[in-house]
Amino acid sequence: MSSPAFLTDLTVTPHNEDAVTLDGVSAGYGEGPVLTDLSLRIHCGKLVGLLGPNGAGKTTVLRIAMGLLVPTAGQVAVLGRRLDSATDRSWVRLRIGYVPQVQAPPALPITVADSVLLGRWGCSFRFLRRPSREDRALVRETLGLVGMGELAARDLAALSGGQRQRAALARALARRPRLLLMDEPTTYLDQEAQRDLVQLIERLHAQLNITTVVVTHGREAGWRFDREIHLTNGGAA
Amino acid sequence: MSALIDMLAIPVIRNAFIGMLVAGATLSTLGVVIVSLHLMALRFTLMHVGLLGAAAGMSLGFSATAGAFVLVPVASVMMGMLGQRFRISASSMTGFFMTGSLAGAFLLLARAGVPAMDVFGIFAGNILMLRRLDVVLVVVLGLAVVLAFVIGYREIQAVLLDRDLALSLGVPVQAVVAGLFLLLGAAVALALRLVGALLVDAIILLPGMAALRFARGFGSALVLSSVFGVIACAGGFLVAVRFNLPIGASSAAVSSAILGLSAVVTRGR
Ligand SMILES: Nc1ncnc2c1ncn2[C@@H]1O[C@H](COP(=O)(O)OP(=O)(O)OP(=O)(O)O)[C@@H](O)[C@H]1O
Ligand SMILES: [Mg+2]
Repeated sequence: MSSPAFLTDLTVTPHNEDAVTLDGVSAGYGEGPVLTDLSLRIHCGKLVGLLGPNGAGKTTVLRIAMGLLVPTAGQVAVLGRRLDSATDRSWVRLRIGYVPQVQAPPALPITVADSVLLGRWGCSFRFLRRPSREDRALVRETLGLVGMGELAARDLAALSGGQRQRAALARALARRPRLLLMDEPTTYLDQEAQRDLVQLIERLHAQLNITTVVVTHGREAGWRFDREIHLTNGGAA
Repeated sequence: MSALIDMLAIPVIRNAFIGMLVAGATLSTLGVVIVSLHLMALRFTLMHVGLLGAAAGMSLGFSATAGAFVLVPVASVMMGMLGQRFRISASSMTGFFMTGSLAGAFLLLARAGVPAMDVFGIFAGNILMLRRLDVVLVVVLGLAVVLAFVIGYREIQAVLLDRDLALSLGVPVQAVVAGLFLLLGAAVALALRLVGALLVDAIILLPGMAALRFARGFGSALVLSSVFGVIACAGGFLVAVRFNLPIGASSAAVSSAILGLSAVVTRGR
């Protein structure tokens, strides 16, 4: 399906440090805190579910881990590095693959391959530094890994919801991340597509050993997480 | 044909032709941005702000173009930033800006006693009054648009695809958005000068909309909108000169026809 060299490159060797640590973190968007004094720890190599009702702050936790939201109090460390400065935050962003919470198909026409290529932004190209041939080879291999090799030239908007999520997963993996953050990847899919995606993510997790955090509403999709973190009103359990 | 070449030897006509050709080839690509970022309402507001700028320019004794060229990009970037800051959609700000600008424009014009014919010029454009400076402005802005897409191709693509994704990758989203809004504002102001307030869409929106009906990728959307823009602007110009019709209206008619045909050809897609 894909070359061994590529897989070796993508596979994360196990190590002992925590992938994400939040220590007494409070954060919000101006009007009152969304998270108060939240502490949590996500171990390396695990497949972790981040659960909670609408508005509990699940997406906010991911934004903090990516350094997109700076907490008002507390400490954050990701992949063994404390997020104190803008440099730290750019450092982790290069090592995180992120699948955003999406609803609608995009208004922009973009081929599946181009959308996956964007996952390499900042790693190997930016502005006048163009994507290389290796980047494109990597995109093809990653698409193969999620079973989307045939659809590389299609318009992203013309795919089914499940295929779009696979493309988004490929985009995140194209970054060769050490941490994978997925925000409600199964929410808008029908049951069969949900099951397929869950199986794919679990299989890839077992194969590649990348620490994976999946935000989800509940258990309807049949996830088998190594660990579940429940967020309720700013606290974790 | 030779009659056309003779006409293009006349400086006024030549300026107008170059202006339309360059605008059609370059500014039209911004239509893809307008549609992808859902800025339909914003561009409409910018046209009204353009009227206010033109009115201010005229009543203060500068040119209408100068007024619009300063005010519209400023307003555009302001609305872009406000939208990001407060998460207000551009469309909910339009009511305020649109009515306010139009009221301001009419008050200024009435106060300064600007002749009705000159006011009409703002609405209908004055392409045959293009001076060298106007042509230079169009060329400079056209180059700026092309450069922006050449330098920031992937960055713009990421922002148009999904803002949150772009942020997570580390793309300087604020700067990209500010740049796009700035170009958009300047393009509206210049299109105002070329074809008038009511027909700005003929250059900066319809070619992009038509292109989006065919394109399956970002690059092809940009190239196609440029091609459609050239056909609309240069084609409309030639038809107008040949049959002695107003240039703005003629280009707008071609532009609408292209969009209509695209819709028919791609129906069911
Ligand atoms: N950009 C923002 N600006 C202001 N408030 C925000 C912003 N993003 C989120 N919030 C608020 O923060 C709270 C938590 O939002 P968050 O998106 O983290 O929740 P969530 O658990 O991901 O919910 P959902 O399941 O609906 O995605 C909500 O009350 C929301 O209104
Ligand atoms: Mg969320």
